[in-house]
Amino acid sequence: MDVVNQLQRQFIDYSASLHREGFLDDQFTQLQKLQDDNSPDFVVEVASLFFEDCEKLINNMARALEQQQGVDFKQVDASVHQLKGSSSSIGAMRVKDVCIAFRSFCEAQNREGCLRCLQQVTHEYSLLKNKLQTLFRLQQQILAAGGSIPVVE
Amino acid sequence: MNSSNGNGSMSTASSSGAWDGRDQFPAGLRVLVVDDDPTCLMIFEKMLKTCLYQVTKCNKAETALSVLREHKNGFDIVISDVHMPDMDGFELLKHIDSEMDLPVILISADATKQIVMKGVTYGACDYLIKPVRIETLKNIWQHVVRKKARNTLLEIKY
Repeated sequence: MDVVNQLQRQFIDYSASLHREGFLDDQFTQLQKLQDDNSPDFVVEVASLFFEDCEKLINNMARALEQQQGVDFKQVDASVHQLKGSSSSIGAMRVKDVCIAFRSFCEAQNREGCLRCLQQVTHEYSLLKNKLQTLFRLQQQILAAGGSIPVVE
Repeated sequence: MNSSNGNGSMSTASSSGAWDGRDQFPAGLRVLVVDDDPTCLMIFEKMLKTCLYQVTKCNKAETALSVLREHKNGFDIVISDVHMPDMDGFELLKHIDSEMDLPVILISADATKQIVMKGVTYGACDYLIKPVRIETLKNIWQHVVRKKARNTLLEIKY
């Protein structure tokens, strides 16, 4: 029982820090609340889908920005827009915030600004991926020790 | 395109007829959700199922249109993302408006006044901004009831 309590404590603290540091917002909590016996792996599944999606969109943006003949900012913007939608839906606050700035640079057709944002969004995405993997690992450990995942408000 | 309801088959959605809504109201509301973003589509599906709605999901507007045409009276409401490659939400809305009598809710990560205005003038019964919360989806049945009530009134008048 002690091991479970310790792990749960760790989970709660880690979750709180992710919220405090802006990696996750309330939308992520909403998704955790949706998880139930019918879909016990819902959050992990959505997160995996999001990361897959993220990588694809980032590649699209990089390709479009590389075009020497002239960047199609509409194309870049379309990918950024989609990333803004999915990141906000999953609660990935920092990724979403970069997307907002990114869109302004697309509108202004500012290639340098776009490239900077692309770097930032790639960075934020890797950070988030690592942090969520740590969170999910903690979850697994709790379940393996026979405990239940606490819901962090 | 994926179909997801309790029985895991498309036929239930259409053969059961109109959503009566009396007993388990508003459970069983038959929703078609369209979004080319797989993450959002998965989240919508889960939220709508949690509301006890019958959910069918599509990742393309064209597919959604064929599903609607193939299953006339098989759905109560359509929820569609605005920005999709090929056919966008506005075009889908125009088609649905001219061919069927279904309430359509548009969703987008875009919140500019102009685009919301566009949605409303095109005939969307609501325009939601991502991220959508489950509380919002719990209320969409109102659009179905409102439309039915309005249609009934028109029938009585004429």
